[in-house]
Amino acid sequence: MDVVLNQIFAGLSFASILLIIALGLAIIYGTMGVINLAHGEFVMLGAYATWALQTHLGLGVVTALPLVFLAVAVVGWVIEKVIVQRLYTRPLDTILATWGIGIILQQAVRMGIGAESKFVKGPEWLSGNIEIGALVMSNYRIFVIFLSIMIVTGTWLLMTRTEFGMKLRAVIQNRGISECYGVEAKKVYSLTFAYGAGLAGIAGALITPLFSTIPTMGTGLVVDAFLVVIVGGLGSLVGTAAAAMLIGEVTALFSIVINDTLGRIAVLAGIILLIRFRPRGLFPADTRR
Amino acid sequence: MNSKLSYDIIGLGLFGAVILFGVPAFFSYDGFELNTFARYLSLAIVSMALALSWGTAGLLNLGQAATFGMGSYAMAMHLKLKASGDNLPDFMGWNNVEALPALWVPFNSLTFTLLAGLLIPAAVGGLIATFMFRARIAGVFVAVITLAFLVAFQLLVIEQQGFTGGQNGLTGLAQLELFGWTVDIYATSFYYLVGGCLMAALIFGLYLTHSKFGLVLRAIREDAERTRYFGYNVANYQTLIFCISAGLAGLAGMLYALVLEFASPTYMSVSFSLAIVIWCAVGGRESVLAAAMGAILVNLAEGRLSDVFVEGWHMMLGVLFVAVVMFMPRGIYGVIVDAGRALRRRGGSEEFAETPSFDTPLNTKQES
Repeated sequence: MDVVLNQIFAGLSFASILLIIALGLAIIYGTMGVINLAHGEFVMLGAYATWALQTHLGLGVVTALPLVFLAVAVVGWVIEKVIVQRLYTRPLDTILATWGIGIILQQAVRMGIGAESKFVKGPEWLSGNIEIGALVMSNYRIFVIFLSIMIVTGTWLLMTRTEFGMKLRAVIQNRGISECYGVEAKKVYSLTFAYGAGLAGIAGALITPLFSTIPTMGTGLVVDAFLVVIVGGLGSLVGTAAAAMLIGEVTALFSIVINDTLGRIAVLAGIILLIRFRPRGLFPADTRR
Repeated sequence: MNSKLSYDIIGLGLFGAVILFGVPAFFSYDGFELNTFARYLSLAIVSMALALSWGTAGLLNLGQAATFGMGSYAMAMHLKLKASGDNLPDFMGWNNVEALPALWVPFNSLTFTLLAGLLIPAAVGGLIATFMFRARIAGVFVAVITLAFLVAFQLLVIEQQGFTGGQNGLTGLAQLELFGWTVDIYATSFYYLVGGCLMAALIFGLYLTHSKFGLVLRAIREDAERTRYFGYNVANYQTLIFCISAGLAGLAGMLYALVLEFASPTYMSVSFSLAIVIWCAVGGRESVLAAAMGAILVNLAEGRLSDVFVEGWHMMLGVLFVAVVMFMPRGIYGVIVDAGRALRRRGGSEEFAETPSFDTPLNTKQES
C-alpha cells in the first residue's frame, strides 16, 4: 500500500512539471495552431539557464525562476518573430520548422557548453522530507506541485481577467474580426509564444534538481507534453490540467503494476485510442472553430 | 498532365543513368564507396515511400521509421538464424531464452523473410491506417498518432531483449544467399541489387502518382471532404497508400540491414523518422523522384561534411531544414518547377501559371 501511495505522490510531482510544460504548449497550439516541437528545447534552455545562473552568479533555483522565465521568453519571442510568424498559414510545416529549430538549439548548447551532464543543486531550505505514515514526500516536490498550481491559476487569471487575455481569446475565436476591432493579432501571437516558451523555461528550471541536465533532455518531455495537450483538448486549461494529472498518475501507477517501459507503452496505446475515439480531447473547448 | 508525365520519364531516365552507370564509373567500381552509396540508395527508397503518403495524399507519417525498422529486423532475423546454424542466436542465451521463440521459427525460410519484410510492415501500416482513417482523423492528428506508435514500438523492441536483442539490436549476421548467389556487400553486383530495387520502386511510385489512383489521392490532399462528396471512399484510398508506403519502407529497411550488416533499434528512433521527413522535404515531397534525390543529396552531404565538421554538421542540418521549410516549402522540386514555369512564360506562352499563394485567407487555420 505504501508503494502505491509513494507512487501516487511521485506521479503527482511528475504530472505538475508536465503540466507546466504542456500549458505553454497548449497556449501556443490553442492560439496559433502551431505544433511547437522545439518546446522540449525551451525546457532544456531553462535548465541550462538555471545552471549558468547558479554556477556563475550563485543564485538558487527558486531565485533564478523569474530570470529564467524572462531569458527563455526572449528566445521564444525572437524565434516567433524570425521564423514561426511566416508559417501561420501552414500548420503542418510548423512541425517541421520547429523541429529544425530544436536541432539548432540543442546543437548550439552541445557546442557551446558541452554534452556532459551538468549538476544543479536543489535549494537548501527545501531539502528534507515530510513523512505521513509510510508516505515520504520531499519538500522540493511539494513546492513544485504548489508552484504548478499557482502557475495554472495565474495563467487562468491572465486569460480571463486582463486586457491581454481578452485580446488573446478574441484572436483565438476569430483572428480576422478581432483585427477589425483593432487588436494587433501579430503582437498577441508573439507575446503568447514568448509566454509559452517562458513557462517551458520555468519547467526546465524546476526539473534541474530532479533530472540530469543534458542537451537531449527535452526530447522525451515534448512528446509527453504534446500528448497531454491533445488528450486535454485544444485551448482548454482545465482539460490540460486534468490530462497532465491523468497521464502522470497512470504512468506512475502502471510502472508498479507492470514495469516502467511497458507502462509507458500502455499509456501511449491508451492515448492513441483516445485520439481515435475522442479526437478533440477529453474536454473540448467550444472556442475554436 | 501528359507533358508532366514525359518530364517525369525523362527525369527518371536521367536519374537511372546516373545511378546505374554514372556513380559506379565515378567511383571506378570501388567496393567501399559503392557500399556507402548503396546505403544512400536504400534510404532513398524510404524517402520516396514517404513522398507517396505525405506528398501525394497529404498524410504526414512521422512513424515511417517503425515500418522501416520492421523490414530491417525481418532481414536481420533471417541472417542471424543463418549465422547461428543449429544453435540459438547468441543474445538469446544471454537473456535466458531456452528455445527458439515461435516468432523466429518461420524466418529460417528465405521466401518467408522476403515476403515478411514487405507484407508485415504493409499490414501494420494498413491496420493503423484503417484505425485512423475510418474515424476521419486528419492533419496534425495523423502525425501525432503515428509518432506515438513509433515511440511505443521502439520501446517495445528495446524492452523485449530476449526476442530482439534489445538496445544492441541484431549483430553478427551471416551473408544473404539469394538463389545460390552469396551477397557480398562490397561487390558491384550488390550495388546493382539496391539500385535496381530503387529504380523499381520509383517506376512503381511514378506509375501510382500518374494513375487515376494518384489523382484521387491528390484530390484528397487538397480537400478530403469534397472528394468524399464525389462519392469516393476516402478512407480506403488513404489506407491503401499507407500500406504501399509502409511496404516500400519495409523493403528499404531490408536493404539497409543488408548494407550495414546489423539491425538496431536506432532505426526506429524519432530522430531517424524525422530525418526521413527532412530528406523528403528537401527534395520535394510532391514528386517521388525528387524525394529520392533529396535523400541521396542530404546523406551525401552528411557523409562528406560530418567528417569535416563533426559537431557543426547537425547544426547545419537544422539550419538547412528550417530554411527549406520557410523559403522552399515544395523543396528543390518546387524551385525547379517554378523556374520552368517562369521560363515558359517569358518565352511568350499565354499560360498563366497558378502560383500557389501562401498568404491566403485568415481562416486557413481551420485546417489544423
